Amino acid sequence: MTARLGRIVAEWYSIPLLLAVWQLAVSSGLIESRLLPSVASVWDTLVAEIADGVLVYHASVTIGRALLGYALAALAGVPFAALMARSPLCSNLFEPIFFFGYPIPKIALFPVFTYIFGFGTPSKVAFTFLECLYPIVVTSYLGFRGIETRLVWAAQNFGASRMTVLRRVVLPAALPSVFSGLRIALPVSIIVVVLTEMIGDSIGLGYYITVWGTRFTFQNVYAAIVVIGIIGFALDQALLRLRRAVVPWQKDPAR
Amino acid sequence: MTPRAAAVQKWVVPLAVVAAWEGFGRAGFAPRYLSYPSDILAALWSVTVDGELGTATLASLYRVIGGFVIGTAAGMLAGLGAGLARGVRNFFDPLVSFLFAVPKIAFLPVFLLLFGIGHMSKIAIVGFSCFFPVFIASRHAVLSVDKLLVWAARNMGTPPRTLFLRVVIPAAAPQLFAGVRVSLAHAFVVLFAAELIGSHAGLSQIIADGDNAAQFDLMFAGILAFAALGFASDRILMAVRKRLLRGQTLGTEEQVVP
Repeated sequence: MTARLGRIVAEWYSIPLLLAVWQLAVSSGLIESRLLPSVASVWDTLVAEIADGVLVYHASVTIGRALLGYALAALAGVPFAALMARSPLCSNLFEPIFFFGYPIPKIALFPVFTYIFGFGTPSKVAFTFLECLYPIVVTSYLGFRGIETRLVWAAQNFGASRMTVLRRVVLPAALPSVFSGLRIALPVSIIVVVLTEMIGDSIGLGYYITVWGTRFTFQNVYAAIVVIGIIGFALDQALLRLRRAVVPWQKDPAR
Repeated sequence: MTPRAAAVQKWVVPLAVVAAWEGFGRAGFAPRYLSYPSDILAALWSVTVDGELGTATLASLYRVIGGFVIGTAAGMLAGLGAGLARGVRNFFDPLVSFLFAVPKIAFLPVFLLLFGIGHMSKIAIVGFSCFFPVFIASRHAVLSVDKLLVWAARNMGTPPRTLFLRVVIPAAAPQLFAGVRVSLAHAFVVLFAAELIGSHAGLSQIIADGDNAAQFDLMFAGILAFAALGFASDRILMAVRKRLLRGQTLGTEEQVVP
């Protein structure tokens, strides 16, 4: 019991420690509380804004946009990756776009997106779609392409139909890579939505941060950051749970 | 399929897009905000000639390199430490797992107040964002070094310093580079957002100017320059990687994260 408690303390002490240092620095007057609000005031703001429903509303807008763009990217990206891996013509046509486009900072295109899709939700969703599409397609494509051909041959030798090969051999073999791509893209979706909301919008957590930041009311900024952190953590955990259910044979990388 | 046909096919989509863009743009079928390639190149040439592009690029480069170097160095130091020592790992892990999913740009208002709207706040926020991917990759890289290699070296009496420099670092190098590459990509994204939100300066100034003045060729010229800068720096990093990791690179190029 004490050993377990000791381990928990040893593994998690840094967050309370940091909070304590923060609180001490503020209450001792070392850092102006205008610049760094005390932990207590951030907590009060967080509770008040959640109870008020304001943060809940903005968070739901952000989550909705992120998940919509993410889901569209997953729905389009995974089959597309499979198609690219299957057909040499498709891979020749589209590989350059994905592999050369990958390192290009696509964020610079966001102004164009606001012209095409307008300022509100559609441009954010479309841009999230684009940003998530790249990791999903590239990672799944490599997964589909990396399937050992002898597995497919063996299945064919046993007389499996094309559908059966796809369902029982190709998909299970490629799913770990697909999930890696999905896991990479998930935080990307949230980051992109918050970022574009900060550039220009009137709802969403990014907007919330910009508004309170320009008013120098930082307890609200930190409260929103805490909410984003919790959302990101919860979504990642949900995806990991889904992966454990769908691909039980893949072990957790690097946790 | 012959290799020749494959090489031709690789160019089909990009060329078709540019050609359609040019054709529809010139004919006036495309919306005006899309401009068209020849106009964009002309705008790019004119900002290059009058020196505006050079100044803006230098400002952006200064910020992105400054932040990238600081953030990557700090992230690698902390990550290697975390990989080697449990104490360091226990300190950083909870903090990183919470902050990793938070867009670091959310701290921009705080950084702006701390460092002002000039170069420093951008360098700081870029560095802050670069820290995390490098930390995670380095930590993981050290932890996943083949234990047999370490034991073998120890058995032969390798001193810790040599063990670290000659066994751990080379074995971890491909993954270290993967982290650095991710952080480079992050650096450009964060730089763009920080410049656009915080103060209009650098390359995003050109993009924002073109946007505000409805000079869309100028806007696209800025976008093109920014994209080229990001792309070129990635290629440079990959070239460095190829030199440093001779013989270790097979099948590792694709460990990319945006």
